[in-house]
Amino acid sequence: MKDRTPMNGDRLIGAMALGASVVVFSASVESFQKPPDVEAVLDHLDDLYRSDSSVSRMEIRVEGRRGTRTLRMKAWTRGEEEVLVVIEEPPREAGTATLRVGDNLWNYLPRIARTIRVPPAMMLGSWMGTDFTNDDLVKESSLRKDFVSRVERRSDDPKGWWLTLDVKPDVVGRWAKIEILISDDWLPIEERHFDRKGRLARTLRFDEVKTLGGRRLPVRMVLTPTDVEGQSTELRYLEIEFDVPIADDTFSLSRLERTP
Amino acid sequence: MASGSTLRIAWRNLWRNSRRTGLAVAAIGLSVALVLAYYAVLRGYADWILETLTGPMLGHVQIHAPEWRKDRAMDRTILDVSSILDGLRSDPEVASATARIYAPALAALAEEGFAVVVLGVDWEAEAQPNRLLSGAKAPRGPGRALMGRALAEMMGVKEGDEIALVGQGADGSLANELVGVEGLVRTPVDFVNRQGIILEIGEAQTLFAMPDEAHEVMVFARDPGGAKLLASRLEALPNLAGAEVLDWQSIAPEMLSLIEIIDVAGVFALVLIFVAATAGVANTMLMATFERTHELGMLLSLGASPGRIVRMILAESVALGLTGATLGGALGVLFVALTHERGLDWAALTGGGPTEISFAGLNWSLRFYPTLAPWDVGRTVLAVLLTSLIASAWPAFRAARLEPARALRD
Repeated sequence: MKDRTPMNGDRLIGAMALGASVVVFSASVESFQKPPDVEAVLDHLDDLYRSDSSVSRMEIRVEGRRGTRTLRMKAWTRGEEEVLVVIEEPPREAGTATLRVGDNLWNYLPRIARTIRVPPAMMLGSWMGTDFTNDDLVKESSLRKDFVSRVERRSDDPKGWWLTLDVKPDVVGRWAKIEILISDDWLPIEERHFDRKGRLARTLRFDEVKTLGGRRLPVRMVLTPTDVEGQSTELRYLEIEFDVPIADDTFSLSRLERTP
Repeated sequence: MASGSTLRIAWRNLWRNSRRTGLAVAAIGLSVALVLAYYAVLRGYADWILETLTGPMLGHVQIHAPEWRKDRAMDRTILDVSSILDGLRSDPEVASATARIYAPALAALAEEGFAVVVLGVDWEAEAQPNRLLSGAKAPRGPGRALMGRALAEMMGVKEGDEIALVGQGADGSLANELVGVEGLVRTPVDFVNRQGIILEIGEAQTLFAMPDEAHEVMVFARDPGGAKLLASRLEALPNLAGAEVLDWQSIAPEMLSLIEIIDVAGVFALVLIFVAATAGVANTMLMATFERTHELGMLLSLGASPGRIVRMILAESVALGLTGATLGGALGVLFVALTHERGLDWAALTGGGPTEISFAGLNWSLRFYPTLAPWDVGRTVLAVLLTSLIASAWPAFRAARLEPARALRD
């Protein structure tokens, strides 16, 4: 079974084209009164944290029953298919890396010097002990492919639009429905993921809109699973550079094992 | 009660028609023997279910952190496990106690990862008879693991290979280690064979950052039947405060009903014995009193009290029933004595077929061991005794009401 989680994974490690912000700005002005064009919004969201390429640093705080863990990571992305994430802190886990190429995901464990491909059965497992799943990293930008989307209603506080995405009948995936709240300038505010039984499974909130890498975007996102009390994962972009040249061999297994 | 002379006379009377009495004794004896054999098989069957279920997998009482059974989250652990185990082991009703860790992980021989469950266990406890690793050789030295055979086949792992384990510690940290596979095991528990990598519990605690913690404590009671009581008593222990303490019957209620059915079958067998003994005793005693009408009339006219006649007839029928029951009991006990040690092999009895079946995630050997409780023999003999008394009531009553004059004329 292949599960898809349409939004956060790509943007989690995404990058953004500097030029795109101009488009974004004009689009937001246009959308101020009448409902936005859903396809255009989804295109924009897919591209928001991603571009042709990106290099970013982020901090992830995992809130759990046993307290808080903080990780620092560096991520490289190219296109929609290639991602490399390397843990920089804490020292105990430094050098641990995840490589995604297409639908494949590998973890590199420096302590035992092994690279292991994550099997499909483990795709819904936790990624590096966070509330994000391996699947969140792997899924392609499948919002438009797997879901039927529409503008649901106007939101007054905060101002924006609720979009509803219903999974297509023939798609096997984790989510049956996704609700997305976007602001009038087309930035994500909240995403709600509903499982196959129609229950709210998790909520992803975006805030702290700043200009990073030349693009205005929410630098913080907080993922809260519904059914696990006291559990949440906060991801904060510390720096992003978009459309920087990335060496061809960055997204290769041999490079993975030589992570800095 | 009947005096010694009444008993002697009753016994002599009984064997005046030795063929008829012999047949009645044989009928009663055979049905007692069959019922006891049936009991023994049922009891062996119930024990077999209980042991297969509780031995390798459930234990009689299980202790977990609350909610662990629901989501099996790594961080829902029992703390201070060694002191809990010490406390349990010093309890007079606890035969043994052992702790386990269940950690989902990724295992890889080369690059390809497989979803596995790393079990942290106490080698010594699990290697006892009818436990998870019965008969398996514990690995020597640190960094050594056993592995489910089916999993090993799927992953292409051979004994001596080194595999990588990657999982998540109870504190959320990354757990990763290389372990040498020292043996492949086929346990009675299906999921262990298909997904299990078994480490010594201390190593698992280190690997998954859970010092002196475990996910499960299994307790074996000296008396498995008292599991429920033991569980409620353990629940009140101060160092288990807040933990979830469950007896195996609460964990596997469907298995309990399987065993309860056996008790019902036992009651049916008891009814069978009643019917057989009633027929045998009633017939024999009726015949005996009818053909002795003349003689009984004589006794009455000579001054024997009706009470004495009644006692004599009751004594005869009880002697008949008890003789049958004793012979049958001896036969039944002999059957158990002959089969208990080696057991009955269901596969052989049914003419080949599998020697093992898989059910409820467990592998069930088709050999079980007939056994009898003293009470099984006791209640069967008691049933025969009661039946003999009841069955002879009418002949005895009839004899006591005889009018001597008329009886003498007949």
